[in-house]
Amino acid sequence: MQTLALVRENMPLLLIGLRATLLLALVTLLVSTIIGIVLGTLATLRPPLVRILAAFYVEVFRDIPLIVTIFTIFFGAPLLGMPLEPFPATAIGLSLWGGANGAEIVRGGIRSVSKGQREAATALGLRLWQTYLLVLWPQALRAVLPAYTGLLALIIQSTSLGALVGVTEFLKAGGLIIERSTVMLGINPAFGIYSVVLLTYFAICSILTALSRRLERRLAVGHDRRAPAMPDASAV
Amino acid sequence: MDFDLDYLTRQLPALWQGMRLTVEASSLAMLLSFAVGLLGASLRMMRMPVLSPLVAAYVEFIRNTPILVQLFFLFFGLPAIGLTLSLFWTGVLALTLWAGAFQVENVRGGLAAVAPGLREAASALGLTRVQYLRLVGLPLAIRTGLPSMLNTAVSLVKNSAYLSAIGVQELSGVAFDRIANDFRAFEMLAVLLVGYLAVVLTLSAAVRALDHRLSAPFRAA
Repeated sequence: MQTLALVRENMPLLLIGLRATLLLALVTLLVSTIIGIVLGTLATLRPPLVRILAAFYVEVFRDIPLIVTIFTIFFGAPLLGMPLEPFPATAIGLSLWGGANGAEIVRGGIRSVSKGQREAATALGLRLWQTYLLVLWPQALRAVLPAYTGLLALIIQSTSLGALVGVTEFLKAGGLIIERSTVMLGINPAFGIYSVVLLTYFAICSILTALSRRLERRLAVGHDRRAPAMPDASAV
Repeated sequence: MDFDLDYLTRQLPALWQGMRLTVEASSLAMLLSFAVGLLGASLRMMRMPVLSPLVAAYVEFIRNTPILVQLFFLFFGLPAIGLTLSLFWTGVLALTLWAGAFQVENVRGGLAAVAPGLREAASALGLTRVQYLRLVGLPLAIRTGLPSMLNTAVSLVKNSAYLSAIGVQELSGVAFDRIANDFRAFEMLAVLLVGYLAVVLTLSAAVRALDHRLSAPFRAA
């Protein structure tokens, strides 16, 4: 099989690409989590202005196509006098988008904690920050785990956009192999190579999706309200 | 960094053309993906051997792979084995396959929500499975599933921006081309941000209004 031979021959390049994909996903996950916790928490506070600002952020970054956000960062940064390399530009774009989705999940998680918990915390004289730190967040954590695992799968899929601004992640690595073979060997292995790329993403993401469903079933007990739904690729 | 309104005005006709292509590709893919959703969900519901698992596998595959890679596979991979489609139709096919998978799930959710009694009544009246779907199941499923189906359709419009990656001159494609040729990123990025926000917010508001109307009979008076 021509494809398998090419894959074996170019394994180092594919692994470099896969590493960049996973690194990009990891950075995005971390920054998205920070944005998500801050904005998701703000969205559950009482002052309307704070809530509106958080909702505005979430709405904007979920409505703009991710490809436009990433291109805006990549081409817009030099205009502000601070050009960005492809990797950080992609990571920032992905994180702004991921943070919006993370915030929705965190907000849903906090809201899923039963109201009595918050009231009990107040009755015991806990301050607001203590209520969140000791009572609401720990219980919300449990509720958000399934949705969060699903978000990670979406983030991994979205890192493929890095290929368009020049990050040598997994999709780009596949593209490079095809280009090289076309130029040097005179063959076009696009069908086989892109099949391999698709199947690799499928393997990684379907494991995460399966894990997310499992968590959803196992953790679905003992909550008043429904936990935040798994983010659907078609809803973000 | 200055905003050149004159430059922007000169690019408006090209951007308008791009917007039209965005709308054309999205509407075609929207209709086709609705059809995929109805057909796929029906096949799943009827538990047809071979076909039902195939539909399930298709849905899982699309949901767990990046749409950009699906697009590249169709655009670069298919011609490599002798299947060639025009640029525009490659884009429509990619969007249809992507959204179709989610529509299958949306319609399936709607079918699952149909009261079991109706199904039993249908079989008591001697309706075949196909008749049940056509006369009872799907009409009800479409009504309950419509909000989520339309949300998927809104996402489809957003995702049509991916088509710029293979060179379709839709809204993003036109804007990205201008950025590359004229180095006037500021104006073009502003157009894209405002353009997509306007389209997506309008569509989402319409979906919410429709949802409100559709759920009216089920709200407490």
